[in-house]
Amino acid sequence: MIERRTFLAGSAAAAAVLGPGGALAQPAAATSTSAGAFRHGIASGDPLPDAVLLWTRVTPTADSLPGSGCGPRVAVGWQVATDPGFRLVVAHGSTVTGPERDHTVKVDAKGLTPATAYYYRFTFDRTTSPVGRTRTAPAPTSSPDRLRFALVSCSNWEAGYFSAYRHLAARGDLDAVLHMGDYVYEYGTGQYAYGQSNAVVRPHEPAHEMVTLADYRQRHAQYKTDPDLQALHAAVPWITTWDDHETANDAWSGGAENHQPDEGDWATRKAVARTAYDEWMPVRLSGTSALGDGVQVYRHLQFGRLADLTMLDLRSYRSQQVATTDLGSAGDSARTITGAAQLQFLKDRLADNDAVWKLVGNPVMISPVLFPPLDQYVAGPVADMTGVLPPDGVAYNVDQWDGYTADRRELVDFLADRGVTNTLFLTGDIHSAWACELPVDPGTYPLSRTVGVELVATSVTSNNLDDLTGSPPRTTSLAVEDAIKASNRHVKYLDFDSHGYSVLTITPREIQMDWYVTSDRADQAATSTWSTGWRVAAGSSKLTAATGEAR
Amino acid sequence: MTPTTGMPHGGAASRRTFLRAAGALGGVVVLSAAAGVPLAAAAGARTRVYVLVTDGCRPDEVTADLTPNLYALRRAGTWYPNARSLPVMETIPNHVMMMTGVRPDRSGVPANAVFDRLEGAVRDLDRATDLRFPTVIERLNAAGYRTGTVLSKKYLHGIFGTRATYRWEPAPLVPVTNHAPDAFTTDALISMVDSVDPDLVFTNLGDIDRVGHSDLTGSTTLEVARTAALASTDQQVGRFVQHLKDTGRWEASVLVVLADHSMDWSVPTRVVSLAPALDADPLLTGRVQIAQNGGADLLYWTGNAADRPAAVTRIRGVVGGVTGVLSTHLPTDLRLGPEAGDVVAYCKAGWRFSDPAVWSNPIPGNHGHPVTEPIPFFLAGGSRRVAFGEVRTDVAHTVDVGPTVGELFGLPAPSGGYDGTSRL
Repeated sequence: MIERRTFLAGSAAAAAVLGPGGALAQPAAATSTSAGAFRHGIASGDPLPDAVLLWTRVTPTADSLPGSGCGPRVAVGWQVATDPGFRLVVAHGSTVTGPERDHTVKVDAKGLTPATAYYYRFTFDRTTSPVGRTRTAPAPTSSPDRLRFALVSCSNWEAGYFSAYRHLAARGDLDAVLHMGDYVYEYGTGQYAYGQSNAVVRPHEPAHEMVTLADYRQRHAQYKTDPDLQALHAAVPWITTWDDHETANDAWSGGAENHQPDEGDWATRKAVARTAYDEWMPVRLSGTSALGDGVQVYRHLQFGRLADLTMLDLRSYRSQQVATTDLGSAGDSARTITGAAQLQFLKDRLADNDAVWKLVGNPVMISPVLFPPLDQYVAGPVADMTGVLPPDGVAYNVDQWDGYTADRRELVDFLADRGVTNTLFLTGDIHSAWACELPVDPGTYPLSRTVGVELVATSVTSNNLDDLTGSPPRTTSLAVEDAIKASNRHVKYLDFDSHGYSVLTITPREIQMDWYVTSDRADQAATSTWSTGWRVAAGSSKLTAATGEAR
Repeated sequence: MTPTTGMPHGGAASRRTFLRAAGALGGVVVLSAAAGVPLAAAAGARTRVYVLVTDGCRPDEVTADLTPNLYALRRAGTWYPNARSLPVMETIPNHVMMMTGVRPDRSGVPANAVFDRLEGAVRDLDRATDLRFPTVIERLNAAGYRTGTVLSKKYLHGIFGTRATYRWEPAPLVPVTNHAPDAFTTDALISMVDSVDPDLVFTNLGDIDRVGHSDLTGSTTLEVARTAALASTDQQVGRFVQHLKDTGRWEASVLVVLADHSMDWSVPTRVVSLAPALDADPLLTGRVQIAQNGGADLLYWTGNAADRPAAVTRIRGVVGGVTGVLSTHLPTDLRLGPEAGDVVAYCKAGWRFSDPAVWSNPIPGNHGHPVTEPIPFFLAGGSRRVAFGEVRTDVAHTVDVGPTVGELFGLPAPSGGYDGTSRL
């Protein structure tokens, strides 16, 4: 997403650092220097009915630091058990890692039983990793009574602590965590951090913008030292995709807003970013746990007949965002946000209809958002946060599907033409919380048909509207939210100010998304409060407000 | 109500007996039965099954506010939220699928309208002889059960004919739509239950569907009329349920509630007419017949049989290029038999077919195309055969009604088995 104004402001400012409670403080020492062979934690991901991907990173020697290219090749053992005491080990093995893969370990533990909780751990030398808990997906033909997924996005290290992850880890009732991207941010210290002044809550490593493979590896490694992030990875399998900041802001297939000629060749930068992602994330790229065999992150996961999930990649194949002087080209049919192959893949999955709920992991918003004329006081910050260009009132955020309306029209028409029901787009990116119905024709909504619902999780830490205006939360933003909802009647809920996470509870009867708001991002012990919930009854494609948290 | 017997139509008296009963609307409900069948209520608490088709109802129209009775039944019973109609998504073939449990390539009924090659004309499949597969109605009769049909539409009454033990001939019929209003249909249903108490009654409530078909003015009044029809039909369902409860029948009752298809609306500018495109092709001109089925057209090659493969390819090429056409299919790919012709064309959502001319189909509400596949589908009732308060993830279809009814009565599968699955 576009953060140019913020970026410029931050670049000009000194890299102030906020301590807990928002007080200015000296930068804390990065925790990645902490000791231990498994200092970057453990993780699991992409659960299948009979397999789960297991991840860790081992630090075998003091010089085997992320991105260093140093250190020996070593063997790492792994075990999967049905009990936390590892008395009933059902799978185990050993794999070799080394500096060529930044000492990361990825194991596809197979032969597991569907819908079953497992415990896993790694061993190196005489060291044993912390124990992780994971869970396989239900059998394809089974009918689970309930699934519960967390939905998160936009976790910027420099903007604060990942308390959202801590609160999610403490729940104990999640089947998976869905991360819609911007898991790491590429910026150098102080370029994009906390609030109007870009105060740095905790500095990035490396301190400069990540560009090289070593940079990306170090940055991923740093994020993996966060205790809240480690706790959530250890507690639940994650299903992730990337958005732009895993490479650079406003990435598209041939470049990025935050990629300059003096930063080298874009294709090289993109490739090294993908390499680091593959190494450091519990994800199967191109369907495997192997490295270097492909970088396709869009994929499909099945959760019995209750839900299927298609995770999208809306950065690797997209055309360049239209210029601010050429917004009329947003609907050019030659332009794409998905690429033809991925769009066909998505349509095939949606048409399959072997599950009640068709979930789409959708990194950027698909609902049309027509921005009304705004007061100048808020117009600039709204433009910064959402990417509306220019800030004084042109209609669309061209970094979202709004900038690629031919692809959206094709997909929306497909959903309508084929009578696809119960489609939900699960979205991040926009640092705000939304619940929208997806109309075939927004101009005649609500008289026209809706083909799905979009639920958008807010940012874990990345700035949103009140951070940019400097207003107290839930004050000046309220008028903006009301204006947007008035101009876009399919938008049922919008919170431009809050940070936190969402929890999606899926039953055959209905889906409910609950939004939880965390307190000050700069507070390492930030609290979490239920904010609101919105429900979708099966067969309806309509949103209704919930009266309380889903049980 | 006390049933009386009589012979209102002298010509049929030799083959049928008749029952007259007073309806709630003050009219007289006339039921007919096969000769020799007693017109008296049977006693006992054996399971009664009522298949209620809310014709043309969309799944998103079953809500607590709009259709409180249907909503309550769905919530208390066994709900299949991922249910679909089957090709062609029209009334007659889906009612036939419900009562046979098999697809059109086995029943001979693929659509409402077909081109009858023998007669050389497009006609509705509204004759009892058009249906070639034994229905659960007939098979139940053979097993000693008594069945009833209360079908609001003239053509449904036609194709199911005299199969049921007891029949109601829809009346009064609304001009243009040829269907009886739901209030009268429900009167007939209640009268039949009270008077002869069949083990199975197959009922079609046509109002929701017919609002879409009968409003020729476009979309200005459509939503209001549709909402009124939904509320009204829901009231009738509620009235029937209350009657079952009031008469002590509820605990023995299983209701299978579903739609045969849903509904899509189009404006007059979104009309697909295939005839001009076909006539513009030198191979096809004058050699293709079109049986129009709302959102689906069935296309029949009438030229030289030897040219059929080339003609089918040409038809698909020509039709596929017409604006508003979604897709073309071979009938075999959709499990439609030879009655469906050589090519099936679907239109896109928000469009309709109108052949042979653009003014031939002025109806804004149509079905037959894939957007009209999603349907409500649930089991309800007080019988312990119904799983209370369950929501099931399986994809249910109209063709599943036959095996569901069959299982409820312990009926063996028909020769060759069912194409559907019991949803009990």
